[in-house]
Amino acid sequence: MGKKKCVAMLLAGGKGSRLSSLTKSLAKPAVPFGGKYRIIDFTLSNCTNSGIDTVGVLTQYQPLVLNSYIGIGSAWDLDRKNGGVTVLPPYSESSEVKWYTGTASAIYQNLNYLKQYDPEYVLILSGDHIYKMNYELMLNYHIEKGADATISVIEVPWPEASRFGIMNTDDEMRVAEFEEKPAYPKNNLASMGIYIFNWSVLKEYLEMDDRNPESSHDFGKDIIPLMLDENKRLFAYPFNGYWKDVGTVKSLWEANMDLLDDECELNLFDHDWRIYSVNPNHPPQYISTQAEVAESLINEGCTVEGEIEKSVLFQGVLVGKNTVIRESVIMPDAVIGENVYIEKAIVPSGMNIPDGVVISASEEDDEIILITQEMIQGICS
Amino acid sequence: MKKRMLGVIDATTYHEDLEELTVHRSLAAVPFAGRYRLIDFVLSNMVNSDIESVAIFPKYQYRSLMDHLGSGKNWDLNRKRDGLFFFPSPLLDSPSKGIGSFNHFAANLDYFYRSKQEYALISNCFTVFNMDFRPVLDRHIMTGCDITVVRQDGRSLEMYLVKTSLLINLIENRNETGYTCMSDVVTDIHHSYTICNYEYTGLAVMIDSIENYFAASIGLLEPEAWKNIFLRSQPIYTKVKDEPPTRYMKGASAKNSMIANGCMIEGTVENSIISRGVKIGKGSVVKNCIIMQKTQIGENCVLDSVILDKDVKVESGARIEGRHEMPLVIRKGTVQGALMNS
Repeated sequence: MGKKKCVAMLLAGGKGSRLSSLTKSLAKPAVPFGGKYRIIDFTLSNCTNSGIDTVGVLTQYQPLVLNSYIGIGSAWDLDRKNGGVTVLPPYSESSEVKWYTGTASAIYQNLNYLKQYDPEYVLILSGDHIYKMNYELMLNYHIEKGADATISVIEVPWPEASRFGIMNTDDEMRVAEFEEKPAYPKNNLASMGIYIFNWSVLKEYLEMDDRNPESSHDFGKDIIPLMLDENKRLFAYPFNGYWKDVGTVKSLWEANMDLLDDECELNLFDHDWRIYSVNPNHPPQYISTQAEVAESLINEGCTVEGEIEKSVLFQGVLVGKNTVIRESVIMPDAVIGENVYIEKAIVPSGMNIPDGVVISASEEDDEIILITQEMIQGICS
Repeated sequence: MKKRMLGVIDATTYHEDLEELTVHRSLAAVPFAGRYRLIDFVLSNMVNSDIESVAIFPKYQYRSLMDHLGSGKNWDLNRKRDGLFFFPSPLLDSPSKGIGSFNHFAANLDYFYRSKQEYALISNCFTVFNMDFRPVLDRHIMTGCDITVVRQDGRSLEMYLVKTSLLINLIENRNETGYTCMSDVVTDIHHSYTICNYEYTGLAVMIDSIENYFAASIGLLEPEAWKNIFLRSQPIYTKVKDEPPTRYMKGASAKNSMIANGCMIEGTVENSIISRGVKIGKGSVVKNCIIMQKTQIGENCVLDSVILDKDVKVESGARIEGRHEMPLVIRKGTVQGALMNS
């Protein structure tokens, strides 16, 4: 294997339990987003667009969908002779089977993967977020600062700061203190879970962490605080732009709705920073004579005979006559019958909504309905 | 019992009546149905019929065709064994009367010698259809015919099934027999071959003029028609692009239209086929039109019965109207000002 300047390690084993039934049989990074994509497409496309061609993808929870989706990485131009994408599942050793118990242990167990490329820098990413970011700029910043580690941060509204891992920095952006979900935040710079480490430093600290039986083997909880204790040079890299953790049904819905907003910073139509994805082969969408579509995002392979307003339709969705869909997200290959009314809901992949079903949240309730098979059976019985 | 048929696609055809769409590209590469090129239909049919070796014989302007086909990956034809072969004509001006020029094949006889497939299916590149060729082969073998011609209502669809050995024979002896192509053989009354017909009953349109290109495109808006062409079990493959889903903005309206990905629609679209990456501005009305890739239509335009080729720019306020029976074709890359066609 040829030497690489920077290798990315993408943590994609998350369960995303707050996404409820959406992550019952697939990992959070594989959850569909934006009418066409899966969440992980954003991070993988960022890698390609930033000139990073070697990416280890660490999987653990329900990996089937994710593994077959990633394949050999050709969708993101990551099918390379030297480097490219490598899926890294947990494995057994002669003495024991080692699950990934934390973010740091996942990387530690794949040190051999990194050693093959003998990189100068290692970029740690998470496959759970929707954002467009040029990692090359972050790497340049890391080099300029002469840092041991750099953590990407985003300004969050003060009232929400106590929900995040907060970086307290000096004027030079050097991190003085890291506080996980502080009750009284001193700063509003939240960690985005994106780290660049000098390879030699990372290796040293991961090995140290592995020997510590008290450690939870987590970057935020263990590695970063230990490095700060030992006075290593840690810097915060401020990121401006759209960044969203789509960890709940509501935030997943909101992020989809953001795409329909003219003011939204997340532009999927930017040809200079394309978001790549596996492109299934579908004919163009067919909008029938009875249909009405407004302020929506609709993918190929859809057949629309009803009224669509402020909604996102993934590939292969069928919408019957006299059906109204408002402010909803309809995932791939869902079949919506005739005379159906759906408002503020998420319809999961492949679900069949029979004729005449009405689904909408009550006025005062601003929750988003995630439609389940049981719900449909309840309505129809 | 796979690997029994070779696919041979004659992509040399040039129809003068389609000149306006074939200035920059070969007929095989003419865009169709919003995201396809004409060759996608026959090529996908071959792949869906278990054909794993396809030879394409192009002539004229084949840059866009090569760009479209690439390594054949999108048709699963980037194989170590067999796969996609590209044989541009070394004879630029040898006129060919019919599909499957033996002269053109002769220059690449090695391909036929080396192939192990017992049968060869020779086809034109400009038919819009979704057909399984396996039943043709079954019939061909069962009847023991030398040549099977695929027909619809008696008319030849210019697709022929023969034994590869017979094809080699016809190519090698072309000077003695005087046959220049497959249709010469089939239409000769003195030959000694058994010719059989295979009647195809599905939808098949051979594109040979602007009028029938337009009619076939708009005709695809009939659900019965597109359901006949776009089958989930036998998909039509094409070169995929990483375009986002199409976005309908405030004030947009679409009816009875087929729309590909990556479009931004603020105006009204009716009875039209819209290709990938098209922009339609506020207040514009597009009716009975075929709009090809990346064409941009400004605000408050009126377009009726027009074929806009790729990368056309229509300035705000322009009014362009053709007739339904004779649509207007706007050439690739041109700019249409507001006053030019008023």
